[in-house]
Amino acid sequence: MLLELKDVWIHYHKVAAVKGISIAVEEGGIVTLIGANGAGKSTTLRTISGLKRASAGEIEFAGERIDRVAPEKVTKMGIAHVPEGRRVFPYMSVVENLEMGAYLRTDKRAIEKGYEEVFEHFPRLRERRKQQAGTLSGGEQQMLAIGRALMTDPKLILMDEPSLGLSPIMCREIAKIIRDLHQAGRTIVLVEQNARLALALAQKGYVLETGRIALEGDAKDLRENEQVKRTYLGM
Amino acid sequence: MDSATLIQTLLNSVVTSSVYALVAVGLAMAFGVMKMANFAHGEFFMVGAYTVYVLYQLGGFNFWVAVALAIPIVALLGVATERIIFRQTGANILAGFMATVALGFVLQVAVGRIWGVGLMKRIDTPYMGAADIGDAHVGWQRLLVIPCAIAMLIALRYFLYNAKLGKALRACAQDPEAAALQGINIRNMTMLAMALAGASAGLAGALMAPIAAITPYMGHGVILIAFIVVVVGGMASIGGAVIAAIILGFIHTFVATLTDSLIATMVGVGFMALTLVVRPQGLLGREKS
Ligand SMILES: Nc1ncnc2c1ncn2[C@@H]1O[C@H](COP(=O)(O)OP(=O)(O)OP(=O)(O)O)[C@@H](O)[C@H]1O
Ligand SMILES: [Mg+2]
Repeated sequence: MLLELKDVWIHYHKVAAVKGISIAVEEGGIVTLIGANGAGKSTTLRTISGLKRASAGEIEFAGERIDRVAPEKVTKMGIAHVPEGRRVFPYMSVVENLEMGAYLRTDKRAIEKGYEEVFEHFPRLRERRKQQAGTLSGGEQQMLAIGRALMTDPKLILMDEPSLGLSPIMCREIAKIIRDLHQAGRTIVLVEQNARLALALAQKGYVLETGRIALEGDAKDLRENEQVKRTYLGM
Repeated sequence: MDSATLIQTLLNSVVTSSVYALVAVGLAMAFGVMKMANFAHGEFFMVGAYTVYVLYQLGGFNFWVAVALAIPIVALLGVATERIIFRQTGANILAGFMATVALGFVLQVAVGRIWGVGLMKRIDTPYMGAADIGDAHVGWQRLLVIPCAIAMLIALRYFLYNAKLGKALRACAQDPEAAALQGINIRNMTMLAMALAGASAGLAGALMAPIAAITPYMGHGVILIAFIVVVVGGMASIGGAVIAAIILGFIHTFVATLTDSLIATMVGVGFMALTLVVRPQGLLGREKS
């Protein structure tokens, strides 16, 4: 397992947002967490990347405990986080944003290749490389946030609702990129409200309900599950 | 106002603006990263001036050596402030306020104990004489402040926009969490911001040492003005602080020349109030997105 959460609890003050979840992510796969608003999806991702502390349980990445590790060290270990709401640096240019993604890397040639890879995935970013990130469209900002994550050269990418607020065309574009990244061998944990999209992309899924895992299994089984159909696919 | 007075006042305005800019830029930069103000920033200026007093006047060092040493000394004071105060207070604004106000008092008392609180210190002017421009005379010692301040501001700007560390500092100011996710250590960046804040305030104090009244309390007036400048400029905006420093430097010098400095300060505060009415986010302030 590349990433493993074992009975993880996460609290905000005294209130439990995540109540003992266990998740396993295999190398090279796409795993999705779906669930309603406030189910604890973002909280889970933020805890994996070290922005928030788990109050109990263990998180292991590539065989090492990371549940007490600071976010900048988690990044160094190979986990990139595309946060909810994109969170690009609004007053920096596209290139500067990507440069920040490469902050920990020193190999100039590898960094150059990183830029090329990002610009291949997102030709639009190449055209707009000098533009201030805050003036990009929502979809372009999402591309930049993903590109910035790629620049860290991650083994695992956490994506928090990349399709949020995007047009159907843009959603499809993001979906294609996620597929491309998967094909290129990256491991992805995808959090989505858009369960249809998420279950189409992932091999494995977890359904989160108010901080607990209500269902888990192969994505194609979840797609057929009556409860999932009713609650998350609107059928 | 005759032409000699006009030229003299214009030049004095530029000197004043330079000092305001040096002091305010550091305050704005530290605020940008921490979202907290350092109320001991005026005392950083004071320590810079005392460094020159002690090294140059008492220690017999070359003036420029004393000025150059004031920069790292006060930068270290900035780093210490981060480690001892801001690292403990975290995001608690009230605690940060009280602790840095207290630090200001501690520095005043310490300096007063060691070098005395009585009469203000006199420093032999390293560069005597004045430049004659038209009928105006402006002391060399004053004029020297301008190129030094400009050099420091250009260096800071170059660092922030071209060096990787400088860019990381800007990233932290724009979104600390997102910066941490790129592998940037926020604490180190906060320390760096406080070091730069100390360096520029220290340089300002050092340059002003031969032309200002050196007392343990000389930071009071400075921090008041620095806050006005930073608020007018747009809190975390460094460019805004420089522009506001220029505007307020001119306003203050002209009003002070025509009337007196108390009225000049009041006009400055009035200008700040007016700015906030017209543009609540300050001249170059960024609205919360
Ligand atoms: N900073 C916070 N302080 C207190 N409670 C919080 C905080 N952040 C999240 N919560 C609470 O934790 C629970 C889980 O929130 P979380 O953001 O993880 O949900 P989510 O599944 O990502 O929802 P959404 O789909 O709306 O993004 C919610 O009840 C939320 O109110
Ligand atoms: Mg969320």
